[in-house]
Amino acid sequence: MNIDLGATLVALLTFFGIAALMALSLNLEYGTAGVPNFGQAVFVSIGAYTTAITYTRLLPLLAGKEVIWPCGPTLGPALQLRTEIMTSNPGAGFINLAITLVIAASVSGFVGYHVSRIALRLQQEWFLALVLLVGGETVRIFVRSYEPVICANNGISGVAQPFAWLGNPQQSSILFMVLVLVVTLLTWSYCERLVRSPFGRLLRALRENAAVTRSLGKNVALARARVMLVGSAVAAVAGVFFVLNTGYISSNDYVVTLTLDMWMMVVLGGLGNNRGALLGALVITVLDRLTAIATIQMNMSAIDLEFNYVRYILYGIILLLMLRYRPQGILPEPAAATNAPDLLTEPDPYVADS
Amino acid sequence: MPPALLITSLLHSLQVGSLYALMALGITLTMRVIRLPNFAHAEFVTTGAFTALVVSHFLSRSPAVILVSATIAGAVVALLSHLLVFRPMSRRKLSTYAMLLVSFAVGLILRYILFVLSDSYQLFDKRIQIPMQILVRESFIVLTNFTLTIVPVSIACVMALALLLARTALGREMRALASNPELAHILGMRVERIRSLTWLLTGATAGLAGALWGLYTFVNPLLGWLAILPVFAAAILGGLSSFTGTILGAYLVAFCENTLMQALNHYTGLTFSFKAAIPFVIIILVLLLRPQGLTGFLRQNRNIER
Repeated sequence: MNIDLGATLVALLTFFGIAALMALSLNLEYGTAGVPNFGQAVFVSIGAYTTAITYTRLLPLLAGKEVIWPCGPTLGPALQLRTEIMTSNPGAGFINLAITLVIAASVSGFVGYHVSRIALRLQQEWFLALVLLVGGETVRIFVRSYEPVICANNGISGVAQPFAWLGNPQQSSILFMVLVLVVTLLTWSYCERLVRSPFGRLLRALRENAAVTRSLGKNVALARARVMLVGSAVAAVAGVFFVLNTGYISSNDYVVTLTLDMWMMVVLGGLGNNRGALLGALVITVLDRLTAIATIQMNMSAIDLEFNYVRYILYGIILLLMLRYRPQGILPEPAAATNAPDLLTEPDPYVADS
Repeated sequence: MPPALLITSLLHSLQVGSLYALMALGITLTMRVIRLPNFAHAEFVTTGAFTALVVSHFLSRSPAVILVSATIAGAVVALLSHLLVFRPMSRRKLSTYAMLLVSFAVGLILRYILFVLSDSYQLFDKRIQIPMQILVRESFIVLTNFTLTIVPVSIACVMALALLLARTALGREMRALASNPELAHILGMRVERIRSLTWLLTGATAGLAGALWGLYTFVNPLLGWLAILPVFAAAILGGLSSFTGTILGAYLVAFCENTLMQALNHYTGLTFSFKAAIPFVIIILVLLLRPQGLTGFLRQNRNIER
């Protein structure tokens, strides 16, 4: 069997970009601010469901066509209409993508902002983790049972990449990869700046000791709400790209294991270190792809072992080993950089030279 | 609502509630004594169910043998995960979230090992080989030997556990450890031994609950994982401290999941796919509105800690 190396690399880098966005968002929330978001999958899913709605309701309007109900008996024609617009009308596709990203980020940010308020009412610290975990599952069950969003159990397929109109799958997937990587890079530099800003310092203080931070006159609740806003918005953007990449939206993708994948990336890479988040995302994506390829190989040579199982056992073991022997991650959080050492070495202008 | 539906769903509530109570007590115990929200409890339950399945297929069909071996298997797995993972980890002084993650990881490993095993030995969705007998069939009330095993056995176990905690020396030591570990240590209690025994107890109840749960449905590797969040709902309704509260919480969650769901379906046409969301909604509402759980309605000082 020969694997098309170029295509594999493009797929890998696209997956990496999306995973990195997710890891960056969780790293911002948990690594920097200490908010244990065990429901990050739900913010990713907000991006995905927004995409489902805009690509079935808004896209035809932008292209000047009539909206067809995407589920039930009109499923076929609606799918055909989507594909037709995506392959023939790049303008409508791009405007739609831009609107989708804006809506997804704002809705998710809004939800995240208000969810963080819940934290104030909880008595024990791990309750927030449980509420987020359970909240994610609740949203999933509602979407799965309520047809208008993604046709309940059926999901929505045929959400094409924004460059599908090129007609050349290779070129369009390369361009999509570039788009994803550019967004990831921008997000990364934004996260870096945020962490180094006074607000980033406030977040780290909050993570270390919320009571002390409050006693210094800082609005802890607001800071937590703001970081959840940013993190959730980034996660939703990742969700939009996730859907565009696979072309299919199903509520089964946004389960606890997706959240666990993100935690793996952050714990592996290094809590509170954005480079670590990128590294973790890379390692997990490569592992993920390798197991996928290995599964195909194994199935071809008639060995009946489900690699997904082995993958999760491996994840569990890696997680345990990391927490046991290197809880700070591969790349530990860098020490806070200030200008203080320079000030110390500079000659003091007020000391009279004798 | 037609009486047949009502009575059937009430029977289901009773059955499921008894099992939830058994599992939730284990969760409450680890939460209190070990101070760990243990998500791996789910997989202790699943291990019990699989042991029951394997024993019933290959060794013996006597219910007593099956239940006892499942109990032992649960206890062994719990003790092993304590000795191999939780104890070394707790020495690292990790945060609560990290410990939560550790219990997730342990659960994940156990769950997928069970997946691999059941895949290679074709054990998916098999039933435990205890023949079902219908003992009572009064118009629409059907009582099988399963119901008459599950309910009394779990209630007896719950009672035994409550007695053990309230009356024995071990129970007193466990309560002491729950309320103040440092003090327990200073007073010369063998803290490590008490911790190990707690794990054994929780594992045993989980294994037993798994075997009984397996009688109630099919056995598959997700059995415990699918039950764990309703069980957490029950434990949280009980305020994660009192036994009475936890037991009441367990029956209340089961009642909402079965009878209330049935009623909602009958009167408002809500589909059964929303059933899984009921315990989650309970968790969120309780944590937000009444984090001390049900116990506030009862007597305040009836905690394990006393």
